[in-house]
Amino acid sequence: MVKKLLLIATLIASSQVLAEETPPTQPVVDPDGFTEPLKTLKFNPGLDQREFERATLTALNIYDPLEPMNRRIYHFNYRFDQWVFLPVVNGYRYITPQFVRSGVSNFFSNLGDVPNLLNSLLQLKGQRSMEITARLLLNTTIGVAGLWDPATMMGLPHQSEDFGQTLGFYGVPEGPYLMLPILGPSNLRDTSGLVVDYSAENWINFLNVAEVSSNHPEVWVLRAVDKRYTTKFRYGQMNSPFEYEKVRYVYTEARKLQVAE
Amino acid sequence: MLRTLRLAALLGGLLLSAAASARDVDAATYGYPLTNPFEATIATTPPELRPELPHDDDINQADYSLNVRPERAFTLPDNFWAVKKLGYRLARQDHPAPLIFLIAGTGARYDASLNDYLKKLYYKAGYHVVQLSSPTSFDFISAASRFATPGISTEDAEDLYRVMQGVRAQHPRLPVTDYYLTGYSLGALDAAFVSHLDETRRSFNFKRVLLLNPPVNLYTSINNLDKLVQTQVKGITSTTTFYELVLNKLTRYFQQKGYIDLNDALLYDFQQSRQHLSNEQMAMLIGTSFRFSSADIAFTSDLINRRGLIIPPKYPITESTSLEPFFRRALQCDFDCYLTEQVIPMWRARTDGGSLLQLVDQVSLYALKDYLKNSPKIAVMHNADDVILGPGDIGFLRNTFGERLTLYPHGGHCGNINYRVNSDAMLEFFRG
Repeated sequence: MVKKLLLIATLIASSQVLAEETPPTQPVVDPDGFTEPLKTLKFNPGLDQREFERATLTALNIYDPLEPMNRRIYHFNYRFDQWVFLPVVNGYRYITPQFVRSGVSNFFSNLGDVPNLLNSLLQLKGQRSMEITARLLLNTTIGVAGLWDPATMMGLPHQSEDFGQTLGFYGVPEGPYLMLPILGPSNLRDTSGLVVDYSAENWINFLNVAEVSSNHPEVWVLRAVDKRYTTKFRYGQMNSPFEYEKVRYVYTEARKLQVAE
Repeated sequence: MLRTLRLAALLGGLLLSAAASARDVDAATYGYPLTNPFEATIATTPPELRPELPHDDDINQADYSLNVRPERAFTLPDNFWAVKKLGYRLARQDHPAPLIFLIAGTGARYDASLNDYLKKLYYKAGYHVVQLSSPTSFDFISAASRFATPGISTEDAEDLYRVMQGVRAQHPRLPVTDYYLTGYSLGALDAAFVSHLDETRRSFNFKRVLLLNPPVNLYTSINNLDKLVQTQVKGITSTTTFYELVLNKLTRYFQQKGYIDLNDALLYDFQQSRQHLSNEQMAMLIGTSFRFSSADIAFTSDLINRRGLIIPPKYPITESTSLEPFFRRALQCDFDCYLTEQVIPMWRARTDGGSLLQLVDQVSLYALKDYLKNSPKIAVMHNADDVILGPGDIGFLRNTFGERLTLYPHGGHCGNINYRVNSDAMLEFFRG
């Protein structure tokens, strides 16, 4: 008897608690508990707006005069990635422990901070240049020639600036879209930027790496493998028959964003 | 004495209410921070509230491929070489363990981020995990779908079942103790039909099946999704398209932040910033992503079946052929267009006709009502604010699943699957 009474009491009590917790501003529209999210949206009255079509069709307008060649290279890259690059990266992942891989990544990323600094200076970005300088100093000394990345832990994240971005900063247009063999999507402006960054790196010869790697091509191989290891992109991951177009758009917009930022 | 009695009464009360109806999680105890369904759908759970998962390097996994439909090697054009075989991913334990199949959602490949998340979750809990593409995914349509016209749930389930059998046959030495099955979004609907098929085929004898945010009425769901791109978005002008609007916001966000940082928290952080998107803009974004799926499906299905709606049959395609003109045409086809132009004509021709209503009944969860009602091994988790549902859908789930329905108050469409409370409940269900 007592048990029954208590049971009823608990049920009543719990329902009261529930009633108190339900916010009064949000009446349940549906007896099932469905809150009808679409009811909160403002739709255009005729449901005939073509904004998705307009936006996407506009987005497809990217200057790509070399499309047939670019597409062939895209397929070459896709195959090379599947049959050579990714298997090598998997082997690399298999034979090296995690701390070695992150050491290698940090080392090359530290090397990359030299062109980052140069380009940041060329774009007259004072604060960023100071941050990258601090990164270089910290990582090269405390971080043992860049094998370790204490700067990021101290709140100085990696910031990338390349010569393509510098050119973009001064208003140089992108030029035709290019699919580079193995390196992937680019455009004329960024490709020339790549060449400039590469020669600058050779000329500065930071930590003597450029000189050593001219005698030891394995350094280049390691660098390429590390680059692929740290690049998240996989061919086919957009899972669409129109991946070429989508990659082209995303690359172009991402570069615009990097230039503007 | 009184205290123990009270406890007993409380437990009894809880049990009684649980047995009577669905498990409704109330918002206060649930604690999910994103109460806006659109935000939840896009940003999903903030990183600190997600479960702890193993790193990719610590998982013994590999991608494999199955040659399910060898004739496609000859019928598909050259530049489809990558999808002539169906890829899937298997993560294996080093000891005998149960195996769980994961089916991806609309248009998603086996390695879609949500599928990969589920893999990590179940792998950590000690399962072998097989990740499968959705039957609506580009690679599945071209490599594994017999009719290459996804949308008829029973046919999709047959295709999936063959793929699962193929996966099992490819790893005869994998020590599997039991089979489990789960899927999210459209993958959950597929999982229900696969489980039903398994009752007669008996290749796996699935021990438990979990449906995460399934569409109930497929037609309601596709109409909702098609409608999302019809929202009135502020800021769209004759010179600024929707994409430009969003990208400008993103650029300003990064400029204010000072540097570009792409991580898990980005979207969540972005929504907390001054540049955050409005509900209409988020809805448009979700709708846009589904429109790309429908464009891919419509194009691929048309190409393989040579229907000539988007691409002329026998149009010569090599690796250098531009597909852009066909993309331009395909992106004008939403789900409703795909349904009326491709699915219904094929379905009518193959099954001697029938109305749209009949088709909807056959491909939605309604078709399995009796089976779902009487199968204690199948459970469903859904959200009260899921954008793919319509009025009455949750009522159907309540009637059909009873206490096997867990209804969360927030989460939008699949936004809370990576919330710790949900992941615990999911693991708990399979633990039995």
